[in-house]
Amino acid sequence: MRLSKYLLLCGSLLFSHAAAAADLPQRWVSSGGSLSEWVVRLGGEGKLVGVDTTSLHPQTLRQLPSIGYQRALSAEGVLSLRPDILIGSEEMGPPPVIAQIKAAGIRIETLSAKPDLETLERNVLRLGELLGAPERAREEMAAYRQRLQRQADWVARVREKQQAPRVLMLLGHAGSNVMAAGKDSLAVWLIEHAGGESRTEHSGYKPISNEALLAMDPQVVIFADRSLHGEEARKALLQQNPVLQQTSAARDGRLLTLDPTLLVGGLGPRLPEGLAELSAAFYPSEQALTAKLDR
Amino acid sequence: MGVLLLLAFWLSLALGPVSLPLGDTLLAALRLMGLPIDGEGLQQAELILGQIRLPRSLLGLCVGIVLALSGVAMQGLFRNPLADPGLVGVAGGAALGAAIAIVGGSMIGGLPPALAPYLLSICAFSGGLIVTAVVYRFGRRDGQTNVATMLLAGVALTAMSGAGVGLFTYLADDATLRSLTFWNLGSLNGASYPRLWPLLLVTLGVAIWLPRRASALNALLLGESEARHLGFNVERIKLELVLCTALGVGAAVAAAGLIGFIGLVVPHLMRLLVGPDHRVLLPASLLAGASLLLLADLVARLVLAPAELPIGIVTALIGAPFFLYLLVRGRA
Repeated sequence: MRLSKYLLLCGSLLFSHAAAAADLPQRWVSSGGSLSEWVVRLGGEGKLVGVDTTSLHPQTLRQLPSIGYQRALSAEGVLSLRPDILIGSEEMGPPPVIAQIKAAGIRIETLSAKPDLETLERNVLRLGELLGAPERAREEMAAYRQRLQRQADWVARVREKQQAPRVLMLLGHAGSNVMAAGKDSLAVWLIEHAGGESRTEHSGYKPISNEALLAMDPQVVIFADRSLHGEEARKALLQQNPVLQQTSAARDGRLLTLDPTLLVGGLGPRLPEGLAELSAAFYPSEQALTAKLDR
Repeated sequence: MGVLLLLAFWLSLALGPVSLPLGDTLLAALRLMGLPIDGEGLQQAELILGQIRLPRSLLGLCVGIVLALSGVAMQGLFRNPLADPGLVGVAGGAALGAAIAIVGGSMIGGLPPALAPYLLSICAFSGGLIVTAVVYRFGRRDGQTNVATMLLAGVALTAMSGAGVGLFTYLADDATLRSLTFWNLGSLNGASYPRLWPLLLVTLGVAIWLPRRASALNALLLGESEARHLGFNVERIKLELVLCTALGVGAAVAAAGLIGFIGLVVPHLMRLLVGPDHRVLLPASLLAGASLLLLADLVARLVLAPAELPIGIVTALIGAPFFLYLLVRGRA
């Protein structure tokens, strides 16, 4: 009697497990740059059938059908990809469209884009479950935490010996109208966690005047622009913007570039590498965690 | 014209990024009307037709009708072929209202998501109404409405609203900035019945009421004093026309964002086809405005599928060259 009960239990457990595996969503649409990146990192790239316009990394994602900008999705557009699941941050919208997609029986998973580690851990573990790769998610997350910890330790150690450099991150270098990263932006979060100091007072990304730029006299300037590769491009930029040329950063040749896709949509899987590269550039005299930033 | 509208409406129901076989669309339509037909995939077809395409097409219908009719009303009132519904400040005011709702909402820490879309509509609607009321007030002097003053006041207030929108653009963070930009380009995306009803009522009101003022508009074409001598209460007519436009365009903009050029181009087009008599011009513009908007929306959602283009881009892209063509032709 007991044995049969046990067998029955075993059987039902097995069955429910198999059923759960079959229930996993197979066709994914991802709306949000860093979420798509995490899906790829957890081995789910083959399941993605559509992504939004902020999902730019890795390059292969650009081949997928685009569902448009995450805040202006189209219900029928998403439905036409016949997805099983739509993932996105709380920015995904507009709400009536999300309601329509939900009404069509598509599973919708909202994963917060808040830039803190607890949120990220919850998101990654959830993605792992949904992708049927919970182990891998746990491993990735543990490694991620470890790398950030090592980064924090490294910065703390260096800061005991050296003063933090004044760092300014600029977006959109066209002409004289540059936008500077301010408080509460992921850009400044990056600068600070890489051991730099941001002197901007505003929040978000705002145009900055040439005089303010001069007064701030940043020791390092980062351009969040991929097109600025190589010495030529940087020289041209300085010629266009003579004020920039007067800053310490330009005099010491400490103008860096950063992949702008790092700044979109919360904490992505490439963040630790990005931080380590920035740190290495902020403190060139120190033994770096990694050192391959183009400068 | 009527046939064109029916065709446009049908196309707008039958086509979309999700390709439904024609038979399914028909059966689903019958099911929506309450006939008990069962079949494979029909549930999905019914959902797409009933919850996504039908409200969207109805929204397009209403917006097109209101914008085109207001265009005729404005061109008649100002006796100026360049007049469009934006001239009395409705559009500028609505944009300012929307900017306040979008940016202000995110600055006080985000509105309850259930409320946010309605608040945006309400702010846009009242913004349009308030600015129009101010413009109208500026035009009034000694119990008379000076149309030229009103026109200039409209230009000035539109510029001021623009400055307001600019200020909010500066204050906005990245995400709200994108929302604002998209709103300014207009879209019929995400239409749903609860948001449709107010616009439907306003549209019905405007569509019934404006054509009854057709002979008054005809008289106005001759000039204000001539119209007065013909026995029309000119001041009343002016107030009615402005009110109609403010309500109609305000509601349309609140529901679908700023959609340009329909109000400007459609009346012109119809004047070429049916002549300047408002008794024919008004119904013709109504039909043409709705058809054009539905077709433009069709382009907007098909051309980039599964993503979609803001419809304001499509209407301006079709409308602006056509307008230029009219200008050149008029000169020759």
